[in-house]
Amino acid sequence: MSNVIVNRVAEFLKRFPPFSFLGKEDLTRVAQSVEIQFLEKGEMLFRQGEAARPHFFILKEGLIQLVENSPKGEQIREVCDEGDVFGVLALLGKRPYVLTSKVIENSLIYAIPVAVFEKILEENSRVALFFAAGFAAGQVVVRQDLSQGQKARGEFKKDSGDHSLLIFSDQSAVIFSEKVVCCSPDTAIQSAAKEMAQAQVSSIVICDENKFPVGILTDKDLRTRVLAAGISPENPVSQVMTSPVITRNKQDGFSNLYLTMIRHRLHHLVLTEDGSDQSAVCGIISDHDVFLSMGNSPAVLIHALMNTLEVVEMRKIRDRAEQMLGYYLENEVSMEFVASVMTEINDVIIRQALEIVKDQLKAVYPEMMGIRFCFLSMGSEGRAEQLLRTDLDNAILYEDVAQNLKSRAVEYFQKLGEGVVEVLLACGFDPCPGKIMASNPEWVQPLTVWKSYFTEWILHPSPEALMKVSIFFDFRSVAGSKALAEELSAHIYQEIGKKQVFLNFLALNAMKNPPPLGFFRDFVLERSGENRDQFDIKLRAMLPLTDLARLLVLSHQIVGINNTFRRFEKLAELEPANAELFSQAGKAYEILMRMRALEGMQSKSNGRFIKPRSLGKLQRQLLKNAFVPISELQEIVNIRFQLDYFRR
Amino acid sequence: MSWWEFWKPKTERLDFIRDFLEVNQDPIPSIRTISQLKFTVLDTETTGLEPAKDSILSFGAVKISDLKIQISTAVEWYPKSAHSIGKAAQIHGLVGISNQISIEEFIKKVLSYLGNSIIVGHHIGFDLEMIGKLLKPFGLEQLPNPMIDTLDLAIRLEHGPRADQRRISMGAYSLDELCKRYGIDRDDRHTAGGDAFLTAQLFIRLLKLAEKKGIRTYKELIR
Repeated sequence: MSNVIVNRVAEFLKRFPPFSFLGKEDLTRVAQSVEIQFLEKGEMLFRQGEAARPHFFILKEGLIQLVENSPKGEQIREVCDEGDVFGVLALLGKRPYVLTSKVIENSLIYAIPVAVFEKILEENSRVALFFAAGFAAGQVVVRQDLSQGQKARGEFKKDSGDHSLLIFSDQSAVIFSEKVVCCSPDTAIQSAAKEMAQAQVSSIVICDENKFPVGILTDKDLRTRVLAAGISPENPVSQVMTSPVITRNKQDGFSNLYLTMIRHRLHHLVLTEDGSDQSAVCGIISDHDVFLSMGNSPAVLIHALMNTLEVVEMRKIRDRAEQMLGYYLENEVSMEFVASVMTEINDVIIRQALEIVKDQLKAVYPEMMGIRFCFLSMGSEGRAEQLLRTDLDNAILYEDVAQNLKSRAVEYFQKLGEGVVEVLLACGFDPCPGKIMASNPEWVQPLTVWKSYFTEWILHPSPEALMKVSIFFDFRSVAGSKALAEELSAHIYQEIGKKQVFLNFLALNAMKNPPPLGFFRDFVLERSGENRDQFDIKLRAMLPLTDLARLLVLSHQIVGINNTFRRFEKLAELEPANAELFSQAGKAYEILMRMRALEGMQSKSNGRFIKPRSLGKLQRQLLKNAFVPISELQEIVNIRFQLDYFRR
Repeated sequence: MSWWEFWKPKTERLDFIRDFLEVNQDPIPSIRTISQLKFTVLDTETTGLEPAKDSILSFGAVKISDLKIQISTAVEWYPKSAHSIGKAAQIHGLVGISNQISIEEFIKKVLSYLGNSIIVGHHIGFDLEMIGKLLKPFGLEQLPNPMIDTLDLAIRLEHGPRADQRRISMGAYSLDELCKRYGIDRDDRHTAGGDAFLTAQLFIRLLKLAEKKGIRTYKELIR
């Protein structure tokens, strides 16, 4: 028996998750059981420590703060406005309330009996996920498993009617052939080619008697290694095949398989029973398969990039990569995969840029061609997590040269740096406002000078030096001699070893940006300037996490892991006691990266400033939950580096 | 001895009438606090504005107890009308409603629903007059329940207990204007259920206001 009143209640509920996930019948049942209550400013709905009521609540209108009474006084944990679900402890676990709900503006509150909802919670997986992911207000006080949040976002999205080119949406849709054309190593090249022609495939896998793969021969091999080399087609395939073969397990999941292909520049990837080449071949996946199922592919883009030295062309390809990025982000493709792909693309662009400029300078500086150097990416690109073409942060490091070559080297590498930066700008990257770029002579230096820079920053950690540290410490060799970069790393650890107190300064610096907990209607917004009423996701959420990850990784003397979420993964490994927190922090960072990139693509900016109003309720909650690990991490760092004592 | 016993019924009192009168026999203790009171907020849609000529098309109501609107109690009934369907019905889109019930069944339902609750409505006198007309054939002149008019209550709370209604602009006390003033969304105007719901939302706000003015008991509220 539904009537106007019940319908009105249902219409309101339907607008907000988790009620939006209910079918008509369940929704009516829930609406029918609602109790409506009006509280005035200053009243409390429930108090911390009180036994859970048989209801949970959704705010119809008004403003309610969830506050925690602690020895430090009253702290606002969350602010609820229209549509926020709160007081859910009654529903989940029936524990006493951990927060007090204070009415800030006159509020109309709908109370929903737990009894009615329990059954729904059991039967409706999306509703269950909503609570599991901690999307109800006040739930975040207990640290949530953010992976549930990520999962939930993916889940909830499907219903929004967004069907924009769902590449990767259904990974099983990528078809690869299970029937693999094989031959033995002593097969004549010509008969192998004949078999390929008959089966209309572009590769043949060479197997031993156990069907274990020993090599692979492709169309391209036939062209370059047989025909062009003038080898007789009577010879056995073992002479011209690529061996050993890179193999993977079919169960590895599509993104892993695909990542392998990109990293190793494979056009064909052989799949075996257990993933090693010591088991039988069970399938093969080709570029073409991937291409057909995706329409756009990193491999194709990288391939195209590597085949051009035309800057205009490179820019076009980078633009296409951004489109691809959009699909990845929208479809919750794993951030590790997305970041790897985009980093690889950016790296290839840098390498091509270097080729272009080196080629131009070759004639004028022939004596410089043999000098070892290393092109360093820093900041987010150094951490291999730059998704959008935000600020360039890079530098050049070259080996120390003999006295007589010094001035020539300075000239040459400056020109090289300038040239590369010009190409990158032309490819659509933004210049670094702090001029930390390879076009700035200060950051184009031989190893000795670089060493002295770092020594200086470590010995005299002024605020300015610490700011540089946060950019320069995440350097990564993108092109040239890796050994030089490694030497510099070794030097840095040596210097830190000599001056441990540097880490305390670094820790202090990492605490500079407190997490955005004192929300006003969800967020601390920028108060002035052109970004008024926006949320600075970079400064307030991502930077604290990057700083904390860097600090902790340095304190463990870990080399070679630059990625913030990979750093947290590593930290989880090293400190089992905090493993949970670190893995949550890593996930939080992935969520923030994704949000920032999506915002940037939407608003055609660097995505740094987010308008909370433009986010949906779920997105806002997911974002809020992502802040939680920050304060916990800061607390750990505060104690570990004795910052209370250190600040005096 | 109650007042209705002086009234001589032409027909024998029906069981449901007797039951209803019985639950209404005991008056509500005057010191009972407002949060302990049970209210029924109701509204009717009629064929017109003249009680003598017009009749009820629909009846909507919801109860308030513990100061909370209990959505589970929301009802909407459509009594069969002897009158030809008038202008109001066309406006309200009630023409051709299918789940109409007989007048007797309607009265039965209304009385058992009301019980001894306090009746609340906006301009409630009109609704009660319309309902009273239907009650007559069943040997009941008027409803014995206490009643509160949200219009009077709003004026009393905003202008004080001795306000002179003649000097107050009544336009400011229409349900529409009051909803606007108290921040209540008004989407479902002009259905009995919708208006009853709005009135209920207005009423719980007015009760808060009353509490602030020191009105805490049944006696203070009903005066």
